[in-house]
Amino acid sequence: MSQSLARNWGGSRSDDWLLSALMGLAILLTLAPVARLLIEGVSGPDGLTLAPLVEVLARPTTQAALWHSIFTAGVGTVLSMLLGGAFAFLVALTDIRAKGALVFCLMIPMMIPPQITALAWTQVMGPSSVLLKTIGLAPPLGSPQPLHSPLGIAVLLGIQHTSIVFLTLRAGLRAIPPEAVEAARIAGARGLRLWWQVVLPLSVPSLAAGTAMAFVTALGNFGIPAMLGIPAGYSTLPTLIYQRLAGMGTSVLTEVAVLALLIGVVALAGVVLNRLFLRRRAYGLIGLANRPLEISLKQLRLPVELVLWLVILAILVLPLLALAATSLVPAYGVPLSWQTMSFGGWYEALFRQPVTARAFRNSFLLATGAAVVLMAICLPLAWIMLRRPSRLSRTFDLLVDLPYALPGVVLAIACILLFINLPLTDLTLYGTIWIIFIAYIARFFTVMLRPVQSALAQLDPAMEEAAQSAGASLGKRLRTIILPLTAPAAAAGAILVFLTAFNELTVSALLWSSGTETLGVVIFNLEDSGETVMASAVSVAVVGVVIVLMGAIQLASRRLPKGVVPWQN
Amino acid sequence: MAELTLTALGKRFDSHVALADVSATFHDGEFVALLGPSGCGKTTLLRLLAGFEAPTEGEIAVDGALVASARTGKLLPPEERNMGIVFQSYALWPHMSVARNVAYPLEVRGFSRAERRTRVAAALEMTGLTDYADRMPAALSGGQRQRVALARSLVADPSAVLLDEPLANLDLSLRATMQEAFAAFHERTGATMVYVTHDQTEAMAMADRVAVMDGGRIRQFATPEVLYSEPADAFVAGFVGDGAVVPVEPCGPAGEGGARVRLLGQEVSARARVAGPDRLCIRPEDITLGEEGALRAEVRQCTYLGGRFRLRLVAEGGLDLVAFSTARVRQGVSLGLTIGQPWGFAAEAAHG
Ligand SMILES: Nc1ncnc2c1ncn2[C@@H]1O[C@H](COP(=O)(O)OP(=O)(O)OP(=O)(O)O)[C@@H](O)[C@H]1O
Ligand SMILES: [Mg+2]
Repeated sequence: MSQSLARNWGGSRSDDWLLSALMGLAILLTLAPVARLLIEGVSGPDGLTLAPLVEVLARPTTQAALWHSIFTAGVGTVLSMLLGGAFAFLVALTDIRAKGALVFCLMIPMMIPPQITALAWTQVMGPSSVLLKTIGLAPPLGSPQPLHSPLGIAVLLGIQHTSIVFLTLRAGLRAIPPEAVEAARIAGARGLRLWWQVVLPLSVPSLAAGTAMAFVTALGNFGIPAMLGIPAGYSTLPTLIYQRLAGMGTSVLTEVAVLALLIGVVALAGVVLNRLFLRRRAYGLIGLANRPLEISLKQLRLPVELVLWLVILAILVLPLLALAATSLVPAYGVPLSWQTMSFGGWYEALFRQPVTARAFRNSFLLATGAAVVLMAICLPLAWIMLRRPSRLSRTFDLLVDLPYALPGVVLAIACILLFINLPLTDLTLYGTIWIIFIAYIARFFTVMLRPVQSALAQLDPAMEEAAQSAGASLGKRLRTIILPLTAPAAAAGAILVFLTAFNELTVSALLWSSGTETLGVVIFNLEDSGETVMASAVSVAVVGVVIVLMGAIQLASRRLPKGVVPWQN
Repeated sequence: MAELTLTALGKRFDSHVALADVSATFHDGEFVALLGPSGCGKTTLLRLLAGFEAPTEGEIAVDGALVASARTGKLLPPEERNMGIVFQSYALWPHMSVARNVAYPLEVRGFSRAERRTRVAAALEMTGLTDYADRMPAALSGGQRQRVALARSLVADPSAVLLDEPLANLDLSLRATMQEAFAAFHERTGATMVYVTHDQTEAMAMADRVAVMDGGRIRQFATPEVLYSEPADAFVAGFVGDGAVVPVEPCGPAGEGGARVRLLGQEVSARARVAGPDRLCIRPEDITLGEEGALRAEVRQCTYLGGRFRLRLVAEGGLDLVAFSTARVRQGVSLGLTIGQPWGFAAEAAHG
């Protein structure tokens, strides 16, 4: 039926024109930077050539960085899968208590900028840890910081992306009809056998999808390898790109483009492997998942709950405490006590340094702007893609994930290449806040589009046909029927866009200039110039803002329509 | 209110023919039922009338004005056709209250606030929903939702109301209530109604005329009593009402509107519109049972229907027949039959 709907879903000429224009704009925003990057990687002084590609790939630094990237992202992903998987199975399938609080706490690491995670963990360990000094357990000065190592990077990447696996898997587990599990129990399966033979096979697709997503995100992560790897002289691809650019400026663009393509290829390889793996494992689920499963853990419940909360304590509370402790000492390395406690760092960072206030404002405006603009574009766009599919829209649908899957640094370079010289003019967007804004739009497009698309696809087409029969034009239908019915999904998308953009560092790390700093950039620069105390203070402030925002959304969730809060479903 | 004229209408989906050569006129104010087995093209016809699909052959006119034509490619979009539609899934907008759902077509047409209020009140009153005006659709029962969809489809005085199996989701007693509500509503408004159903009792009970469809064609379009007593072909005879269709040999006319035919060696007189009918539709009422009788048949099955028994009989030569009896008859008993005035038609009947 959708085919015929597509063909003659009435609408006036001007509507049609607007819709095509919208499609064009979306393609330009998301795919032009990626295309530009591809061209840069294979062009030399005289036309297309593979010479720079071969040259860069042959360098030992490139190969070392490639291996480092694969190792840290790979090990990190395994950790994310184990942690996120365990949490998801326990929360979705068993009768443990306080699930809401657990989910909320697990969401926080994803919302905390990775460089803050890294900073927080270096405050937990190492010889100058304020926390360890305060309790008198610090290793002697001069001993190495254990986190400045490949394994340290991998572990933190794993913690950072646990929530991605958790959220994807939990959504998948919720779609399993309870009858499937109950039938197995009647048949006599219990405990681990039940999990191993029924639940696990049914949830493999979502587990794999979450794992692939975690791998791609870890591969493009910049904050953690930058904070932990650069001091140890251990480069991954994103940090290598950053160092080349920071050292030599735009003269190394071709080389950087090649490195960027390399990350893209590894990321795509991960996604393709995942698809291949899933091809014979995606079972259609029959039946409705109307009730959540609640398998009783009996006497095991309390110990399991304890373990889960201990993990939360270790991966969330402990580093944040360490961070807060560091932000309260007069100078980095001094132990914290009632006598030494000082708000100097806070005062200096938040009130004396104008750049901090500016960064708060910039990040807030960028994140809000991206969320609002994306909401305005994605709603009608999702409608066209569903109701008037064309070859163009299907291709777009396939490629729209690219700017998100590619590491932020890569996207940033693509944007520099594209906007350093606006076609047909002498103008440049480089150095203005607009280049960051456009990069955010490209990067977070899919975060907004996907939830709206699935909400729209679930809508009974008769809803719209009824309005059409009542005489409503396309514009009117979009406003009065489609918009309100997909609003919860759009709001959930907007919240995710806002929270991720607010904390973002990888894209803006290369795109900022004086006056357009974002929060991520400020923290990175403070730490980079040795101002660990001030960096910690700003970080605690940012985490505080994020937690307060999430808390406010959580509190309002009872009055919001179902589906608005992304971490509840 | 309007007259709908379909001329040689056809609809193909890629290579699949969903509707072929449909010609009919639905008169102003008529209650028409589209009846047929699953997949025969009822919904397709309805969607063509509403404008959600474009015909691949033929044309549709409303009050003489062309709204869709395969020849010229003209297609008036649904929002300009001024029709009301009730979907099987109701398609109520869950984010609007009952009153707002009903008011929406008026809103779109730019009616004043005061006008809207009186019209919505009238529509709610007619469907017995006045007390539910401020409820949200989620807080209504199935039957109430059904009535909201109905009120919404008729509030703006549409030229026709199209209903796609509106009662299929309801339980038996609610169905009966709603059938009465539809009939009452039709009487009150005089709207042209096109009602899709695959339930023959429903179609026969409510409609002025019934279009029996099969394989994308209208097999017969007539009043319920004509469909029952004078089916045009074997499909209609079998699909509508109880009874049997048996082959016979024509053996001459029998005056005005009649024919003589030979059934199992016995000459029987039948009603017919064709000269030499070679098929008979024998309804249970056409058979009188007795001990004597030239025609003999054996009882194969006896089912109690409430008040009477339905007998499945097999006559000599393996002919299946159906008859009613006031008393229970044991299986295997042989009975004599007298057949009065069955309906005769030709197997290769011209459709129309
Ligand atoms: N969009 C479409 N594409 C291809 N074939 C279609 C499409 N819509 C309907 N058909 C086919 O056309 C035929 C008629 O379908 P239609 O929906 O009109 O049947 P129906 O009489 O309403 O049946 P039911 O009583 O089961 O609702 C069916 O064989 C169906 O498969
Ligand atoms: Mg149908």
